Amino acid sequence: MDAKKLGLVFFPAFDWAISPVHPEREERLLYTRDQIVEEGLLDMPSIQEYKPGMAKINDIERVHIGVPDIGSLITNAHLVSAGGVMAAADAVMRGEVKRAFALTRPPGHHAMRVVHGTRGFCTINNEAIMVEYLRKQYGVRKVAIVDTDVHHGDGTQDVFYHDPETLFISFHQDGRTLYPGTGFTDELGSPQALGTTLNIPLPPGTTDEGLHTVLDHLVMPVLADFQPDIIINSAGQDNHYSDPLANMKITAQGYARLADKLKADIAVLEGGYSIETALPYVNVGIILAMAEMDYSKVIEPDIQTCPSQSSAVTRAINNVVAEQQGMWAMREQLRREAVAKSGDFWQRSRNIFYDERGINEKQTEKVRLCPKCAGYFTITTEARGSDFGYKSAFGAVISREACPHCREAAVDAVHKAKQQEKYQHYFVQNKYEDKLEKM
Amino acid sequence: MLLGLDVGGTFTDGAVVLDGKVISTVKTPTTHDDLLKGILAAIDQVVDDVGSRDFTRIALSTTIVTNALIKGDIDQVGLCIMPGPGMNITTSLPVKPYVLSGYIDHRGHNLVGPRQDEVVAACRQFKDCGVFAISGKFAVRNPTNELAVAQWVQQEAHPDYITTGSGVSGTLNFLRRTNSAYYNAAVWRHFNIFSTAVKSALKARGIGAPVYILKADGGTLPLLVARNYPVEAIFTGPAASVLGIMAMNPMDSPALSLDIGGTTTDIALWQNGVPLFAEGGASVGEFVTSLRAFRLSSIGLGGDSLVHRAQGILKVGPQRLGPAMAVGGPSPTVTDAMVVANLIDFGDPQLAIKAMAQVAIDGQTPREVADKVLHTAISIISQAIYDMLAQQANKPVYRVADIVHGTQFTVKHVIGVGGSAVGLVPLLAKYLGVSYDLPKQGMVANAIGAAVARPTVDITLRADTAEGYYTVAELGIKNKLPGHKFTLTDVYALGKKHLTELATSRGIPLGVTEIIQSEEFNVVQGFRTVGKIMTCRLQIKPGVLLNSEEGS
Repeated sequence: MDAKKLGLVFFPAFDWAISPVHPEREERLLYTRDQIVEEGLLDMPSIQEYKPGMAKINDIERVHIGVPDIGSLITNAHLVSAGGVMAAADAVMRGEVKRAFALTRPPGHHAMRVVHGTRGFCTINNEAIMVEYLRKQYGVRKVAIVDTDVHHGDGTQDVFYHDPETLFISFHQDGRTLYPGTGFTDELGSPQALGTTLNIPLPPGTTDEGLHTVLDHLVMPVLADFQPDIIINSAGQDNHYSDPLANMKITAQGYARLADKLKADIAVLEGGYSIETALPYVNVGIILAMAEMDYSKVIEPDIQTCPSQSSAVTRAINNVVAEQQGMWAMREQLRREAVAKSGDFWQRSRNIFYDERGINEKQTEKVRLCPKCAGYFTITTEARGSDFGYKSAFGAVISREACPHCREAAVDAVHKAKQQEKYQHYFVQNKYEDKLEKM
Repeated sequence: MLLGLDVGGTFTDGAVVLDGKVISTVKTPTTHDDLLKGILAAIDQVVDDVGSRDFTRIALSTTIVTNALIKGDIDQVGLCIMPGPGMNITTSLPVKPYVLSGYIDHRGHNLVGPRQDEVVAACRQFKDCGVFAISGKFAVRNPTNELAVAQWVQQEAHPDYITTGSGVSGTLNFLRRTNSAYYNAAVWRHFNIFSTAVKSALKARGIGAPVYILKADGGTLPLLVARNYPVEAIFTGPAASVLGIMAMNPMDSPALSLDIGGTTTDIALWQNGVPLFAEGGASVGEFVTSLRAFRLSSIGLGGDSLVHRAQGILKVGPQRLGPAMAVGGPSPTVTDAMVVANLIDFGDPQLAIKAMAQVAIDGQTPREVADKVLHTAISIISQAIYDMLAQQANKPVYRVADIVHGTQFTVKHVIGVGGSAVGLVPLLAKYLGVSYDLPKQGMVANAIGAAVARPTVDITLRADTAEGYYTVAELGIKNKLPGHKFTLTDVYALGKKHLTELATSRGIPLGVTEIIQSEEFNVVQGFRTVGKIMTCRLQIKPGVLLNSEEGS
């Protein structure tokens, strides 16, 4: 039997909202549902609809360290959304479909490894959970994630910042002009993973033309070099010219052609809040493109309101493309230099803001640059907020193929921290043994 | 006195129900060249049997539409569509459509109107067409473009009949509505000739009872109404027996029914006493439609299914070469196995034993072979049941609560009707570990079902308080809403009012109305709730008439 072209996990979560008038509310995919059903897409022989299952806490803890525990920070909706993304992965890996699109909510790409609450509408990172599931369940190794949401996918970047086997590419509206204010060209990954984080900040006013310049001259060649086993698209739809939360000028055709070029194995919905004038058309465009059907007639009724790209914007795009082409070409050398410069450990400290409840987190990661393996790293986290209070934790993350010495050193570090009693909670996220231990 | 008639592939069955009791059943051969001949023969036999022609109602389940489609005895349709932006559906339709300008969006905004010059050009291209179908995307949210085009087509081409997509179905799915509208127009003439013939033949016999046509969803339509919605008369055979089962055996626990005939077995799942419906609607060959129909799984296995060996392996069905050898048929069948296994008393047992001996190997006795055949047959049916249950379990749902608290469909009971049910259903029930029933008049469940099927009709009402209007697609209505404080309860009340009006205009008694679908969303603009979108689908509940008086 021939595999169908596209598996579609459609889960609009019609009974879930962050709050009644929040952009993440029940109505968000209502018009998309109407359009998909009205078009008859679910009746197409090349498209198979799938029902999400529920992710297990164990699936989530492969990625996240929730403080004090992840279960108390999420709702069933998060389990279903993550479960939907995993169902999309299963459909592809079992060979039932050629590729899959998880059109699910709540979204996830702003959720980082350590979770104190919800940031940028996200609590747990659906793509990251799926990637670790793919590795555990199907032995997938090299993964490329292309984040096409208008906002920098800072959560996904955080989760894979020290992982040389996960290439994270994000293009987004320049962080100087938009939430979350990160995603600059100098964020490249920690020394041993240098170059496997690749940010392409784009100026407001970027159109289909600019987007496809980035794809043709940077994203596609980089993917060809990296040769991933699997390509994942974090398919945010808020680059659309009608999106109320951002300032880009991409059309449904632009998105559909992107999906057509990228040929992602699995696409996952992220943001997109022009729920009435963009999402119905963008989603139909992506679905048709992924199902290898004719998408040429998916054109927004108000397309004449979409402006063309200014020459200043074109120049800025060409510059960032050239800069990152250069970085990519030099990546091996840059990596050697960074490793040599750091010595045994590399460290970074950051302030992380949770916009939903006004939580400020101060986080320090210390990465062991082991010459024998991908090492381990420790995390200290302290979070404060006026109605949140104070929470702190110390944890260590052991990489999937850590050497015996690193495994021991990571556990020792946590024991030592615990003896000093400076933090409230202590964790070992042991990817070698696939478990999260609370010490 | 309710008369039900079901035209099947082999037999035309008739049944008369009086005060909930079956007082007469007849079986006559189906006359494929002229269905009416067989129907009238059945009626004449029934009249003879009950000694009266005073029927309260005659309900007909007929293959007239299905046959017309199979034989290609259909009209050329001038199919005009207004797809607007989106998927290209022109290659997914039974015929090449004429694509017109015009676009209604998902909120029902008329963004682009149709153009009369294009409609004139379409009429020129379709100058040989006596019937037209017009379908626009989101016409169920605003029918004005479809109606405008229909009017222009009427003026320009003067066709005998025009169908609109939103008139055939009030629910979303442009592709399915377009196909439904096309088939409705295609079979319109054929069905109307048949209807006229039925009416005059009955009149000639002095039978004045109103005639109803069975629909695939188990409801009935007055013949007069069915003349405008002939496509509703498609696939009524299986619906008739499901209705018959409902009449004979009310059941509350999750169950499944099997109609095991000569060549096929139709399986239906039951919940809360009613069969489950097919998602989206029935399909005509490869083309999906919006026609509501029971969700049936039809497999090629019945009493007459061929038993043979292929490369030494015992095979059962799906071919049928003729009746059982026990009654002089050409080759071994499942029925022969049932005879040898002492499950039924039918024909000549010696011939049945001979049949089983033909497929025996390695010194098997005929009885051993018969058991193997029956086991294989039960396995095939069980597999179809498991597939159906898996499909039910995997049916997408769109709310978190439905995922978290979704209930598993567990079969507790099996009901068997049809000629071959008596032998196979007890074995199957044992295999599945559930209880079973074999209703006494199961052989004519179909005709009984037709006799007692309730007349039904359904509408979809969608109120958009932010826009300040509501639509009822089936009625071509787009009206202003009374005020901004409109709630879901008001929507139900308004829906019931329109459903009552529609039922009355079609001469359908109201019976029990029910809400079969309902949803409510806040519409937010710029962090402010500006209104609600509420949709509800109401119907007169399909079911069975408990006494004759309700039928008229």
